[in-house]
Amino acid sequence: MRRTLQSSGARLAISAVTLAVLSGCASVSLEQNVSRVNDEASSFTEKKLALSRTEQERKERADAAQALLTQPLGQREAVQLALVNSPSLQALLAQGWAESADAAQIGRIANPIFSYERMVAGDELEIGRALSFGLLDLLTLPTRQGISRYRIEQSQLRLTSEVVDQVTQVRQAWVRAVAAQQTLRYARQVYESAEATSEIARRMQAAGNFSRISRAREQAFYADAATRLATANHQATATREELVRRLGLDEAQAPLLKLPERLPDLPKQAMDPQTAGSYATRNRLDIRLAQTNFEAYAKSQGLTTVTSLTDIELTARRNTKTDSATGSRSDPRGYEIGVRLPIFDWGGMQRDAMSARTLAAANQLEATIRAAGSSLRESYSGYRTAYDVARHHRDEVVPLRKVISDENQLRYNGMIIGVFELLADARDQVNTVIAAINTEQQFWLADAALQASLIGRPTSTTLSAAAPPSGAAAAGH
Amino acid sequence: MTSRRDFFKLAGVAGGAVAAASVSRVAMAALPEPVIQTSPDTMAPLVPNSGRPYNPVVTLNGWTLPWRMNQGVKEFHLVAEPVVREMAPGFKAHLWGYNGQSPGPTLEVVEGDRVRIFVTNKLPEHTSIHWHGQRLPNGMDGVAGLNQPAIQPGKTFVYEFVARRPGTFMYHPHADEMTQMAMGMMGFWVTHPKVKNPLIDEVQRDFCFLLNAFDIDPGSYTPKIMTMLDFNLWSWNSRIFPGIDSLNVRLNDKVRIRIGNLTMTNHPIHLHGHEFLVTGTDGGPTPKSTRWYEVTTDVAVGQMRQVEFLADEEGDWAFHCHKSHHTMNAMGHNLPTLIGVDHRGLSKKINNLIPDYMVMGERGMADMTEMEMPIPDNTAPMMTGEGPFGSVEMGGMFSVLKVRRDQKPGDYKDPGWFKHPEGTVAHEYEGPLSEPARFKAEGGQSMPRAQTPSQPTEVKVRKPQSHSGH
Ligand SMILES: [Cu+2]
Repeated sequence: MRRTLQSSGARLAISAVTLAVLSGCASVSLEQNVSRVNDEASSFTEKKLALSRTEQERKERADAAQALLTQPLGQREAVQLALVNSPSLQALLAQGWAESADAAQIGRIANPIFSYERMVAGDELEIGRALSFGLLDLLTLPTRQGISRYRIEQSQLRLTSEVVDQVTQVRQAWVRAVAAQQTLRYARQVYESAEATSEIARRMQAAGNFSRISRAREQAFYADAATRLATANHQATATREELVRRLGLDEAQAPLLKLPERLPDLPKQAMDPQTAGSYATRNRLDIRLAQTNFEAYAKSQGLTTVTSLTDIELTARRNTKTDSATGSRSDPRGYEIGVRLPIFDWGGMQRDAMSARTLAAANQLEATIRAAGSSLRESYSGYRTAYDVARHHRDEVVPLRKVISDENQLRYNGMIIGVFELLADARDQVNTVIAAINTEQQFWLADAALQASLIGRPTSTTLSAAAPPSGAAAAGH
Repeated sequence: MTSRRDFFKLAGVAGGAVAAASVSRVAMAALPEPVIQTSPDTMAPLVPNSGRPYNPVVTLNGWTLPWRMNQGVKEFHLVAEPVVREMAPGFKAHLWGYNGQSPGPTLEVVEGDRVRIFVTNKLPEHTSIHWHGQRLPNGMDGVAGLNQPAIQPGKTFVYEFVARRPGTFMYHPHADEMTQMAMGMMGFWVTHPKVKNPLIDEVQRDFCFLLNAFDIDPGSYTPKIMTMLDFNLWSWNSRIFPGIDSLNVRLNDKVRIRIGNLTMTNHPIHLHGHEFLVTGTDGGPTPKSTRWYEVTTDVAVGQMRQVEFLADEEGDWAFHCHKSHHTMNAMGHNLPTLIGVDHRGLSKKINNLIPDYMVMGERGMADMTEMEMPIPDNTAPMMTGEGPFGSVEMGGMFSVLKVRRDQKPGDYKDPGWFKHPEGTVAHEYEGPLSEPARFKAEGGQSMPRAQTPSQPTEVKVRKPQSHSGH
């Protein structure tokens, strides 16, 4: 008898080991998560994303950040810096790990329950031992492991999406900071021009050549220019601090941040719609995310049909009964099956909820597929328009303004126009350059948005019309 | 222009003028060949070789149109057409004119001549010609709509009348007149007396020119035809100084100058070194009792003045409009006055923004002539003209009367700069300077001022300084 019991105990143990192995398939590690993100979004991360857990790893990251901070930070370097430096990205990775670990949990079997019973009735002592486990739990294990895999997949895709998001935000913050700094330089030139104008006007009044009103008119422009310079100054600070936050720089790192003088040149050619379209169809994160969501729900639907109706508990039982009066002892063995009776709940609600969720996921998938093309076209249009506008400014507007300035210089030389007109024109030219920087900024913002959209993280770009050069009204006098 | 030029062949008359080619000769068999002038230079007087004799005039930077006698009638052929007129060396204007130039050629006839003028219209719009000041049949007066139908593009009209009255006249369109005159369409007409006239003296030199004005935006070629008063180019015969030829005469020549005004303002024309008499207007010779000597005569809008004087003072004498803006070329009329405005510390600041900026006007406008700076294409500098002692700092309506002892009779060549006899040129005083005693005004104002200014006016004069700072 004992032998039999022992052998049945061994069988249980073997089963447990088998389960452990089976459930091992659904386990997930941090490294898996990170390398998955690095593979999926290699164009974004250049496979340099890592979560550091040890002091050694943290130091390595700090050193890499320090190295990046020695040079003016290009857009690519800004992304690298964020990847190694940003605590929020690290937090994202850790959270992603947690999420996939949770997802992996679904694919594991619940631990068996061991119960021990001791009952005394007069002279009789009964000791019951039972090892019970959910039979359905075991039976549905392969299905649940499937679900778990989908959930893990889903959490990893979501993590990748969020990394893409963060990287896009770093890129855009970088573009804004560089453009604002560039704009500030030109705003300072407008201010200097206004200052010179105002000073000439002051001296003209002192020499008796200007009336108070003429002088005041010139000085009013100077006053406006001062306001605009202050605003531009703040804008440069604000956008830089935004970048500092995105990069996760600490107090010691922030002052080291150097930005390039100007935005990169426009690409020689804009990405053509075919190239953009070819990225779009497969492999989009948003579609795959919706797909795995749907599959996970679909998979669990079959499972719910069973589990919602019944919960079968299988228990192996061995009791020992001792009667001290008779000195007799018996060891009854057997098993017990417990079934939850579907009296109050026939599982209809659960099944309904499940099929509703599946239905929702299916429609969500369909909606995502349908929206994917549209949002990509929108992103592309934003990108393409921004490119064309920026190029138009570079090739047409700024050169035209230059021609006007050159001709005005000649006219000034010929005493056809005066110094105030010349200075007003110089301000107009500077404002045109500022408008051109604005269009370049919009292009690079749209470019970052398009990159994100292509990988399947639809990001919209709002294009604002380039402001006409202000100060045109001042050119009259 | 080029294709039309090909249409005419060189005729060799009137110094480089060209006549119509054989192609057009067939088409215009009954017409005298139109003669075209390609040069803006002053042409030698056209001594008549047919018809009644007379003493020809010299058109400043212009020419006289050759004619043909046809059974006792003097026949001219004017072609109204777009032209390119060199208004000054290096500065060309796209104008409308006659026979290759604006203004058109001078027509010279003799009192009593029967004159037939063919007018061919090669303009893009209709035109007509009014013979300003002439006695003629009403139907020949040339006011389109009133006296005749307008001459449509491609059509030729003929005018015929007797030059009844000797004197100084002009011709110009009387159809879309504003446009066509703003584009330079006009010409001179001289009727010489047939017999000795007690009011018309014999002269050795007889010059004529028209006053005209254009508004050509610096860097462009075509006049702005809507401009009414703010012209930027003030010209004599569509030429501006230094593009206007000098009036070269022999010492003690009796000189006549005939001036017509087709601008929209009056011009006080002023001659240095001599007094002149106004001997004629568009109404004819003036009665002797009305003549008095003066050195400036105002030529009002649409008027003609004929002045005469004895050139008995040797030298190079300025001859110009006395409205000083009219002795300037293209310039802005709305520039702030910068005289006395200290630019120290400012120039550098402005140069940061405008690298080519130079301070001008701090001392006055003469800076303009001292700094060689690029100006818009096809623009004549505002003040220019190099004289023997430096820049004349003039433009527009300015020329020089050159009186020379050794100028040959009938020779109109430029004799070059005057060689002043020793000790006759103003020069720097090199003796001691004493501080002048300031004169205190004895009298007061006619009436005291009711309100006194809060601060007394104080004029600060900056001492002359070197130009090196600019
Ligand atoms: Cu004048």
